[in-house]
Amino acid sequence: MSNKSMNDPLHPRPSRLASLAPQDEGEGARRSNTLEGEGQLRLSSPHGEVRNGAKRNEASNHEGAWLRFKRAKTLRKNFAYHGAGLAIALFFLAPLAVTLLASFRHGTEARQPAIPPWPTNGFSLDSYRSLDSFGAGVWQHTVNSLAVSLATVVLTVAVSLLAGYGFSRYRFPLKNVLFVLVIATLMIPFQSILTPLFIILAKLGLNNSLVGLTLVYVTLQLPFSVFMMRNAFDAVPKEIEEAARIDGARDLMLLVRVLLPLVLPGVATVAIFAFLNAWNEFLAALVLLSSNEKYTLPVLMMAVRAGRLGAINWGAVQAGVAVMTIPCLIVFLALQRYYMRGLMAGAVK
Amino acid sequence: MAETGVILKDIRKSFGNVDVIHGVNLAIKEGSFVVFVGPSGCGKSTLLRMIAGLEEVSDGEIEINGRDVTDLDPSERGIAMVFQSYALYPHMSVRENLAFGLKMARTGREEIEARVNSAASILKIDHLLDRRPGQLSGGQRQRVAIGRAIVRKPDVFLFDEPLSNLDAELRVSMRVEIARLHRELGNTMIYVTHDQTEAMTLADNIVVLRNGRIEQQGSPREVYENPANTFVAGFIGSPRMNLLDAKWIGNDHIELAGGKIASPLMAQRLQDGEKITFGIRPENLAVVENSGEAIPAKVDFAEYLGGTQYLYCQLDDGQPLVAEYRAGAPIEAGRRIGLSCAAADHRIFEASGARIR
Ligand SMILES: Nc1ncnc2c1ncn2[C@@H]1O[C@H](COP(=O)(O)OP(=O)(O)O)[C@@H](O)[C@H]1O
Ligand SMILES: [Mg+2]
Repeated sequence: MSNKSMNDPLHPRPSRLASLAPQDEGEGARRSNTLEGEGQLRLSSPHGEVRNGAKRNEASNHEGAWLRFKRAKTLRKNFAYHGAGLAIALFFLAPLAVTLLASFRHGTEARQPAIPPWPTNGFSLDSYRSLDSFGAGVWQHTVNSLAVSLATVVLTVAVSLLAGYGFSRYRFPLKNVLFVLVIATLMIPFQSILTPLFIILAKLGLNNSLVGLTLVYVTLQLPFSVFMMRNAFDAVPKEIEEAARIDGARDLMLLVRVLLPLVLPGVATVAIFAFLNAWNEFLAALVLLSSNEKYTLPVLMMAVRAGRLGAINWGAVQAGVAVMTIPCLIVFLALQRYYMRGLMAGAVK
Repeated sequence: MAETGVILKDIRKSFGNVDVIHGVNLAIKEGSFVVFVGPSGCGKSTLLRMIAGLEEVSDGEIEINGRDVTDLDPSERGIAMVFQSYALYPHMSVRENLAFGLKMARTGREEIEARVNSAASILKIDHLLDRRPGQLSGGQRQRVAIGRAIVRKPDVFLFDEPLSNLDAELRVSMRVEIARLHRELGNTMIYVTHDQTEAMTLADNIVVLRNGRIEQQGSPREVYENPANTFVAGFIGSPRMNLLDAKWIGNDHIELAGGKIASPLMAQRLQDGEKITFGIRPENLAVVENSGEAIPAKVDFAEYLGGTQYLYCQLDDGQPLVAEYRAGAPIEAGRRIGLSCAAADHRIFEASGARIR
């Protein structure tokens, strides 16, 4: 296999190593040429020439050894680096793997605490079936959760994009006061406003509705998101926007065609946070929703974890955790490239 | 008769209650290359941005080719602008950057293609069309920015210090390039810079600004040879004109550092004994033997530039003065020399700074 990849032009690393060898040879050949030249010049003292040549050969041998040593050193360093990385990755992946494996345990085995954490009697979907027997069925709750989370993401991104743009670019009276006020709401623990929120939603006829819940999530998500988007827009040079205005891009066109691609990292960050927070939120969902078929996944999980008649179905719990984890993983993996850049941009500017 | 070119009528601008531009009147002929020059913060960019429509005008009117554009959107004024920071769209390829304005104007696909290609070949950036701005060097980015202006086929090109971010060598070659572009395209160009060399080399017409006012306007030669006041005299030219404190002693004579210089003046507005500023350019001073007619001076140090030397001197009353010296023999520091100058090269200014002609 290694032989094959040595000849494969698509693998730059081995081929570079391979090209190192003839290059060394070439250098050696050149050296011996100059030696010959020197020898011709110094015909009168052949001894000196021989001694000189020997020294040179020794030197090039020494050089080769040094190169080999260095290569070995970098190899060892790479090995340590990747080894440590792998260990840390394992450490973080283990709980996920345990959950996923344990969720595939067989019938009665599944009801026991998960030790050892893998199926001993072969794989089965029993746990998922028993998870489905809770509430209005796992599909219904997953759809509820997805609807609320995605709606939260869309609304949060739309509002914070416009608000962030406004706070970054327009001048209006009390702008800074307003901005600080928006940020200050981050300091209010949301549990403390749950009761007023409940009353307001009831007045609006939005209690026990996923729309109402979405609005609450969007409200909770906005201060951070507006802050994030303002930073993102602040980092876009004003001249780019002005150039676009001269080019004839206006209003929404300007925002979508020119500015949105430039603040995409910020948007990704806002979207990830909005999704994860809405997806995992429990308390507001429990308080604001009252009918069984409206519950989101965290509320369902509560019911699953409480068990029936005191008996906890560990298999169903593991299956529920698996179901809850997968969308988060997908969203994060899909957006993480932008997300990291977004956090950096906010931090250093 | 409908006027062509750009006309500014009593333009004023204030940010909040800070007045930045105080009533600028200017007529720019179609097809000319006008340079706004002045020290940093004098309002050049603000003036240019008002012409572009990026900054609202507090008072006054702007006309482009006979059309009042004062309240028009930037895209409808028939202008294109090149920014100091290039301001390319980083997420688009060079081709998309060039085509963006045309797409916004709903130009046909073939037309866009043709215009982008012709602009690219004028600027020799054909081979870069599929790259992103991030993959280009500073000079290449500047070409793309200029290309983006060209494809719009504007009536007026606006440049805001387009060369300031380039290194010295590139700046010279891009300067030549821009001059060539003006010759080839023949559009009106308005160019902002704080670098008087750029202004002198590029302009048909220089507008010298200070603190939001026009100090002088004219061809580079006019502005250089006949500065309207001490500010323009000191700003245009490198090294700058020597501006020396002197006294009008009547009878066509000036007293300078204890000596007397004959300087015939047409307008005899001056009182005998009145303080004046005596201006003389370094290249108009000749080094002579220290005799009666010459101004005596001591050389502090000499700067050799190959072909020419600048002598940094001190007059007897301590005033500094720079003289250009082209003859071969080096002059060592500390030597006493005499300087003479032809009366035609004298520039006399009132104490307030205004020129006396
Ligand atoms: N948006 C602004 N708000 C307040 N003051 C400004 C603004 N833009 C420019 N100024 C002020 O106007 C003056 C002229 O600025 P500018 O036109 O950029 O100068 P220049 O381009 O000649 O260096 C400066 O004193 C600057 O502080
Ligand atoms: Mg400026």
